[in-house]
Amino acid sequence: MSAPVLARFSGAVRRTRAIALKEFRHMARDPQVVLLALAMPLVLILVFGYGVSFDVERVPLVVVDRDRTAESRALARAFTAAGTFDLVAVSDDEAAVEPLFRGGHAKVALVIPPDFQRAQGRGDTATAQLLVDGTDNATATIALGYAETIGLTLTQRDLPRGFDVPLRAEVRTLFNPALRSAVFIVPGLIVLVLVIVSVMLTALTVAREYERGSMEQLFATPVGRVELILGKLMPYFVLGLMQVLLVLVVGVYLFEVPLRGSVALIFVSASVFLLAELAFGLVISIVTRSQMVAAQVAAISTFLPALILSDFLFPIDNMPPPLRVVSSLLPPRYLVHALRAIMLRGNGVESVLPDLAAMGAFFIVMMVIATRKFRRTVA
Amino acid sequence: MSDVLTSSPALEARGLVRRFGRTVAVSDLSLSIAPGELYGLVGPDGAGKTTALRLLVGLLTPDGGEARVAGAVSHAAGGALRASLGYMPQQYSLYGDLSIDENLRFFGDLFGLSSTNFRERVAHLLGITQLTRFRDRRADALSGGMYKKLALACALLHRPRALVLDEPTNGVDPVSRRELWELLYTLVDEGLAVLLATPYMDEAARCHRVGLLQGGRLIAEDAPAALVRAFEDLAYFVTAADRDAAEAALHDLPGVRALSPHGPGLRVIVAAADAEAFRRRFASADMRWHLEPTAPDFEDVFLMRSIDAE
Ligand SMILES: Nc1ncnc2c1ncn2[C@@H]1O[C@H](COP(=O)(O)OP(=O)(O)O)[C@@H](O)[C@H]1O
Ligand SMILES: [Mg+2]
Repeated sequence: MSAPVLARFSGAVRRTRAIALKEFRHMARDPQVVLLALAMPLVLILVFGYGVSFDVERVPLVVVDRDRTAESRALARAFTAAGTFDLVAVSDDEAAVEPLFRGGHAKVALVIPPDFQRAQGRGDTATAQLLVDGTDNATATIALGYAETIGLTLTQRDLPRGFDVPLRAEVRTLFNPALRSAVFIVPGLIVLVLVIVSVMLTALTVAREYERGSMEQLFATPVGRVELILGKLMPYFVLGLMQVLLVLVVGVYLFEVPLRGSVALIFVSASVFLLAELAFGLVISIVTRSQMVAAQVAAISTFLPALILSDFLFPIDNMPPPLRVVSSLLPPRYLVHALRAIMLRGNGVESVLPDLAAMGAFFIVMMVIATRKFRRTVA
Repeated sequence: MSDVLTSSPALEARGLVRRFGRTVAVSDLSLSIAPGELYGLVGPDGAGKTTALRLLVGLLTPDGGEARVAGAVSHAAGGALRASLGYMPQQYSLYGDLSIDENLRFFGDLFGLSSTNFRERVAHLLGITQLTRFRDRRADALSGGMYKKLALACALLHRPRALVLDEPTNGVDPVSRRELWELLYTLVDEGLAVLLATPYMDEAARCHRVGLLQGGRLIAEDAPAALVRAFEDLAYFVTAADRDAAEAALHDLPGVRALSPHGPGLRVIVAAADAEAFRRRFASADMRWHLEPTAPDFEDVFLMRSIDAE
């Protein structure tokens, strides 16, 4: 690098740092914001951790066994063994399900098709159907999560030896139902907490400069748009990582959530997600130029997807195709997926690369939009 | 190189046009300000002063024409241009929750001042603005005058060649106002080019040169004294406690071009050609007020130029 280039670079670094430092100062002068940012994860994890776990024991289950073989009975037993499901009826006719659901007598139905054993014998995927009463979303979601684990555990038996079984862990927690939901929700909670506070705060920062009139003064200095954007991201990035740490610590110590994979990888994934969402927050701020509007847009476009489209409460597989497409365009589901893989299954970097790539791509797109939309003019 | 720089005006506008929707905020504005010159852009609210200043410092893109700072086109130029320009916006634009020191430090970093240079500049600027004692005070806890001085200090940190101030004395008490003006004169004497916008005629009269802005157009431009000398009408002062009655009575007298309330009476501007007739009618109409001729001032100039321009 030639000297002028180097000088220009060090100038850019200094300006970026000045912006970040100033933003930290704003935070320090307004400690309620920081307190809120750190209290929010605690409140949420307590609410979700304790609240949800009580709901999911003894979910009334009806089994429709149309196969009536040893395998089908084994599957049904697996469902009732954990204590999560309470067998309230057995039938060989699917028509029995709806009245039981309507009457509130059952919430989940396991339907085993007539060719279940044969399919398994052939080595094909043996498919059983799980019907869930969708009116009780929390139960439905958790039940689906359990069912998935149970189903996988069964298949695991037939897998060739030597296959690295990432599911063993889930089998273990399966017999510890009180902890199950905490295990299940921590990744989703991390996503939720990050978007609620960090993205919201970022969305407000640029708009605030416009509203206060300070943007006019800033634009009259040599500060560049990218410097301004990166400098503004930094403090909220740090705040976000602190939130992740908080949720992890509480999750691990209070709810004994397993941490099977690398903590570093968890933070790498959370960092990429944060960058993506913060850049999104900045785009909102730059486009709206108003704190009121920015807050509303941020709530709708980041909070809702994090809650609904992240696979956190509602399984993506059950969504109508358009929603699935929307969810695949937004970062939350990728972090939920990555965190579940790392924390619960102990997977390594190779299994979360696609998630990192997707979130990274979102970040780049947002940065391009942010710098394009960010004009150095006041009108 | 330095020849080119010194020979080109510090600030220059050529045929600037800027519209907002149907409003033409600035229309065909041309002006040029030399180093060491104090130029005042004067006009009422909505005249287009802020828009003109923003065009000059590159915060707005012109719809026509061109603005230049030290020869470089304003809206296209990057950091280099900004490093030679100090700008103080009309509204509060520093950070209220940061202290004087922190605000200065922030702008010092953005302008890339070395730490020795920064310390020197801050010591000097806080000294001349008499803010040294308040260094740790938050900007939102400063009085209007102190705030403006801080804003001025921030705009001067990097030793700009041109300074652009939008209503620098707005919300400032009379004492601080005088101090600010003394400061400006010192800066101009040191060779700085200063462009300021103001709605106050008394302030405009203190500039080396003024441009009268109305409806986005420059309707007159010269040294204030020259504009007053070129004033063709006559000015009278009518002492009247009952101003409204006086105004109604005087309104239809021959030659009366403008009436404006002023202190304990009315200022009356009369066309020179009709002055004789005006005085005769005033005397014969048995008016109970006292009439005396007075020297036209800058405010009269602005008033009449505005009326003529309409
Ligand atoms: N950002 C803007 N958007 C729309 N109209 C504007 C904007 N800025 C100024 N104007 C209009 O342009 C005209 C000139 O305004 P301005 O330059 O602020 O005048 P002044 O500073 O002399 O009060 C006014 O009619 C004002 O309403
Ligand atoms: Mg203005």
